Amino acid sequence: MMRKLSLFPAVFVMLALFASCDTTGFGNISQHIGTAMTAVDATSSAARPISEEEEYYVGRAVAAKILGTYKLSTDAHLTRYVNLIGRTVALGSDKPYTYGGYHFAVLDTPEINAFAAPGGTIFITAGMVRTTANEDELAAVLAHEVAHIGKRDGIAAIKSARWTQALTLIGTTAAKNYTSSEISQLVSIFEGSIDDVFKTLVVNGYGRSQEYAADETAVMTLARCGYDPKALVSFLKRLEQRGKSSGGGIMQTHPGTADRIDNISGKIPATGAIHPRAIEARTARYNQSVR
Amino acid sequence: MKRTLTFSTIFVFVALSVLAETVTVITRDNAIREYAKFFAPVKANVRYNDRLEVLATQGDWYKVKYGPSIGYIHKSAVEQRVAAMSASYPGKRSSVSQSEAALAGKGFNPQVEASYKNQHPEMKFYLVDSIERYVVPDREVAQFITNGGLRQP
Repeated sequence: MMRKLSLFPAVFVMLALFASCDTTGFGNISQHIGTAMTAVDATSSAARPISEEEEYYVGRAVAAKILGTYKLSTDAHLTRYVNLIGRTVALGSDKPYTYGGYHFAVLDTPEINAFAAPGGTIFITAGMVRTTANEDELAAVLAHEVAHIGKRDGIAAIKSARWTQALTLIGTTAAKNYTSSEISQLVSIFEGSIDDVFKTLVVNGYGRSQEYAADETAVMTLARCGYDPKALVSFLKRLEQRGKSSGGGIMQTHPGTADRIDNISGKIPATGAIHPRAIEARTARYNQSVR
Repeated sequence: MKRTLTFSTIFVFVALSVLAETVTVITRDNAIREYAKFFAPVKANVRYNDRLEVLATQGDWYKVKYGPSIGYIHKSAVEQRVAAMSASYPGKRSSVSQSEAALAGKGFNPQVEASYKNQHPEMKFYLVDSIERYVVPDREVAQFITNGGLRQP
């Protein structure tokens, strides 16, 4: 009995060693199991979400489409400043890393708005920058957009039927490179996905619950970074005043600002007072960069 | 009895090594850092789909082993995949990881983007490229944080 029992671990050890070995050492074993692997790929991809890498490619195309509508600012000083604040709040967010990283750009338009393209490219309009009163408010706007990236709100705008169609096509293809017919179908699905996201970002806006959740995440991010989380409320109040006169832009794509203020007001995390020297330093660099 | 004990020891050792927790890098590139901070010195560079062996967790960071390097990587830069079996330090990839790599390369990939670009030459991808190329160095971000009385998470 003891002898039989001692054989069991030995067999297990051999199986385990086989499993953990580099299979390239087994010659063409992958050729023999190629069909099985393709079947596994098809099954495992059947219900998978869009990967980080795929989100990145959708985001790049959405960003290109946004840049077809708005002009990219050439203000190098402001672009650098926005990137420094953006990188800071991204590090303090729930998702500091994305496939291609976070990138921030300013759009040269007086319209008041900001857009988060999937994957991490965030646009803020010059009009929006000028609506802020200080660095903490600008950080609040960027933290809100970073929250949309972390929650993958842009990707969620893609119609589920479209992604199911893509998965069916991907699942039946063993090779990494597609045939011209497959690529044509996939590009059509890709284009539809970009339109879904673009429409949500620029025309219709996210749902009310997504905006509230992004505000709630943003104030936590601000607190973690050492910014004043109340800056989001002060910014929204100013936005409400401006919005009454301007309309369009963010007022068109976001829920009522008064509702956002109501939602976030009781959810501001308690933080200590900011050192006067820190306020002074932030004010100086804000005034230098935002003109 | 002694032989049973030896086999059992080997069994436990091998089982633990096979079941060792691994994570896969999901960012295009990233770094294993000396300690669990964003701007800590880099011990090794890693790329998308690289497998790292998890040694411990520390807050939002994993202590990992990648080849000869041991260091830290943020949780948002990696994901756990069920079929993980062995570390994929270059030259040591399992068949499962090759399969996953192929799957990861499918879907919306550079080939799809290239075809889309050909169909839409009016799309300003060159501007997107310029935005992505613009990267503020880590040391400048760290200095910006310090000068503004902010905190490094």
